[in-house]
Amino acid sequence: MAEDLNWAVGGEAGDGIDSTGKIFAQALSRAGRHVFTSKDFASRIRGGYTAYKIRTAVDDVQSVVDRLDILVALTQRTIDENLDELHEGSAIIYDGERSWEAEIPDEITAVDVPLKSLAEEAGGAIMRNVVALGAACEIADFDVEYLDESLEKRFGGKGSKIVENNKEAARLGQEYVQENYDLDHLGYSLETTDNDYVLLNGNEAIGMGAIAAGCRFYAGYPITPATSIMEYLTGRIEEYGGHVVQAEDELSAINMALGGARAGARAMTATSGAGIDLMTETFGLIATSETPLVITDVQRSGPSTGMPTKQEQGDLNMALYAGHGEVPRFVVAPTTITECFWKTIEAFNLAEKYNTPVFLISDLAMSVTEQTFPPEAFDMDAVEIDRGKLVDDDTVGEWLDSQGRFRAHAATEDGVSPRAIPGTTDGAHMSTGLEHDELGRRTEETDVRVQQVDKRNRKVETAKEEEGWEYREFGNPDSDNLVLSWGSNEGALVEALDYLEEDDIDLRVISVPYIFPRPDLTDEIESAEDVIVVECNATGQFADLIEHDALTRVKRINKYTGVRFKADELAEQITEKLSAEVPA
Amino acid sequence: MSSDVRFTDFKSDKQPTWCPGCGDFGTMNGMMKALAETGNDPDNTFVVAGIGCSGKIGTYMHSYALHGVHGRALPVGQGVKMSRPDIEVMVAGGDGDGYSIGAGHFVHAVRRNVDMTYCVMDNRIYGLTKGQASPTSRSDFETSTTPEGPKQPPVNPLALALASGASFIAQSFASDALRHQEIVQEAIEHDGFGFVNVFSPCVTFNDVDTYDYFRDNLVDLEEEGHDPNDYEAAKEVILDSEKEYQGVMYQDENSVPYNEQHGVTEDMSEIPDGAPEDAMDLVREFY
Ligand SMILES: Cc1ncc(C[n+]2csc(CCOP(=O)(O)OP(=O)(O)O)c2C)c(N)n1
Ligand code: SF4
Repeated sequence: MAEDLNWAVGGEAGDGIDSTGKIFAQALSRAGRHVFTSKDFASRIRGGYTAYKIRTAVDDVQSVVDRLDILVALTQRTIDENLDELHEGSAIIYDGERSWEAEIPDEITAVDVPLKSLAEEAGGAIMRNVVALGAACEIADFDVEYLDESLEKRFGGKGSKIVENNKEAARLGQEYVQENYDLDHLGYSLETTDNDYVLLNGNEAIGMGAIAAGCRFYAGYPITPATSIMEYLTGRIEEYGGHVVQAEDELSAINMALGGARAGARAMTATSGAGIDLMTETFGLIATSETPLVITDVQRSGPSTGMPTKQEQGDLNMALYAGHGEVPRFVVAPTTITECFWKTIEAFNLAEKYNTPVFLISDLAMSVTEQTFPPEAFDMDAVEIDRGKLVDDDTVGEWLDSQGRFRAHAATEDGVSPRAIPGTTDGAHMSTGLEHDELGRRTEETDVRVQQVDKRNRKVETAKEEEGWEYREFGNPDSDNLVLSWGSNEGALVEALDYLEEDDIDLRVISVPYIFPRPDLTDEIESAEDVIVVECNATGQFADLIEHDALTRVKRINKYTGVRFKADELAEQITEKLSAEVPA
Repeated sequence: MSSDVRFTDFKSDKQPTWCPGCGDFGTMNGMMKALAETGNDPDNTFVVAGIGCSGKIGTYMHSYALHGVHGRALPVGQGVKMSRPDIEVMVAGGDGDGYSIGAGHFVHAVRRNVDMTYCVMDNRIYGLTKGQASPTSRSDFETSTTPEGPKQPPVNPLALALASGASFIAQSFASDALRHQEIVQEAIEHDGFGFVNVFSPCVTFNDVDTYDYFRDNLVDLEEEGHDPNDYEAAKEVILDSEKEYQGVMYQDENSVPYNEQHGVTEDMSEIPDGAPEDAMDLVREFY
């Protein structure tokens, strides 16, 4: 009896794979089971292979594994693509009436269900995926009523007839399997609990965090995989008095966001690598004019247009070094979906506390992965807003010079200047990308130049002292084996601990959510015998930083196939690395 | 907003470094007077400037202001107005800034119809980079980078605006102070994107499109009895390449500005101390 179940639906892009998967994932979540999903899709709207995979358990699941138990195959390619993940206990649901002859390996249980005919019987061929879901419930011994709830949620807006038809389709699928197959030997039985869970992905968590943090103005230009942040905010942010604008390009998007921020709104833009390239032009202006702005980069596989629908963590150097000249910034990289929420809020606070641009870097795997959490994981009562040194009519006076002019770039000890927004009496001032004095007026005077550069850089020093640049830690804190990671690899690493434990290997895992400034890990590294840095890129950009900080060489695990790490795969690679030599 | 605001309140204490006689002096004065005349004050006004001699205007004016990167002033201005409907927004830049590097933004700013004013200081040359051809330079205008002239027709910014669905198109001349001020004032008062192409002669690098040239050739549309609400008549003067006009060419009487179209009415700078009261609903949506 499997403790967890790995399920997938696959077919052509345009077959409704995504919504089918989502309906099932939601049903499992409503049944109080943990869910972790992953998507496999090509950069085409029709004609490419796509799959939606779900791993579900009563215990927390945080990664994908190389195993599939139930596969709904709408095409032969779905079967071929997943062959190596199927095993003796697997079942494939397919439609034998379809024109293709399904080639299913002998040891795998073939469950031939006339999906299309049954769907037509329920009211329309379009529901064949729902018939398959009913069949899947039967095989997994999962109460089809949870599926009903999910169908209501999905189709409720389209009228009760559509909901009823879909429920009927699910019933027909379930009954067909019941009547024609005896699958008890597979041994699947999905336990349910009374737990409440919500199911969401990283981009949704970023969007929700932005609204919670008071972001009211979003300007963006569509690009995979960042677009869904914009889609999430559209139609929701208005409820809170905000607005989303689709700009003509990324140059415009970031400049609009800059305008919003200077006008006093908490503003954000989000894009992926190629868009950051264009935004880089304005990045220096944002830093020099000391504008609080959150710029989200949902990384995908580069360079250039690369593999738009594939995972990578290759933009770290860009976030750190983007822009000509020397530009202070913060780089924050959430490590889990809940952290996408909390770190977004923190990004807005950092931006306004230090009047500085903040790069919030996420990645494709996190952006499309849906995962279950107790709703308290997003406890809105715990959200804190810090608007920094924002002055008003009463406090602006402290910052006026002898001639009554607002010192917008006052060279304070902590490097942070006051901020007056339009409408504040006596706060009027100019901001510019040109080097300027305390009043914002252009200058090329050497001492003022040095004063302002030092002032801006001092903010980072202040922040290093004032903020808690902690890391997240898992495994055995006393282990000699230290594994470091950033971004979405955390989940797979945490699960890899279980696999390694079976081989009596213990690890101390440190997952770092801050790239700049970042926690000082020198002590942790010095007290370990083996240090391995895990990341989804070819050159080891984070490993380079670690080596630089700790003045030592580390071992590296790099994956740049376009696919995220899997827990079992990571466990294997870590075992190999532990016995390997440290690179010279 | 107070009635005792004078246009000099919009002046900063920085002395302009424009060449003596540059058209930008007159352009700026008219803009400041128009702002004061329409009841604005520095604390409720946001000026966005581009890059170029023209872009320096933000430095010499006093208000909330941003001097941005080359060609991107319009997006900044739109961002300000979209998030702060209560603020008066004015954007200024040059012909290179607005019609070359920023041409894409121009088209889209026009069609969005955000309620703001855009004054382009058109000297038909790149001033700050010392005299290269601009998009509005004549096709035979000899410059350091086009010794035989650009050999391509100049951009007609008014036509570009018309084709993009502009709700207000005007042209003025920096040296005709009163008319220039009046026209900018009308642009400010217009409900939507008020676009004014201002002839602002460069006395240093352009010896063709001079004060004298404009004085001799400029036809005032008001004197001609032009009706700006007449689209066909507007088309005719805008596409007329034989004459130079000043005045309001086109104004859409039914213009509905962006913020109104999109129901963006709130001052977005005001947010709660923590998450909004009903924010848990956002989480429950994911049940
Ligand atoms: C990205 C970028 N490219 C080039 C420049 C150099 N540059 C500064 S001003 C300018 C042209 C300005 O011409 P125009 O807009 O007509 O303004 P004018 O100086 O004539 O008022 C150029 C090309 C720059 N500042 N930034
Ligand atoms: S170079 Fe031309 S545009 Fe620039 S300040 Fe001098 S006269 Fe004016």
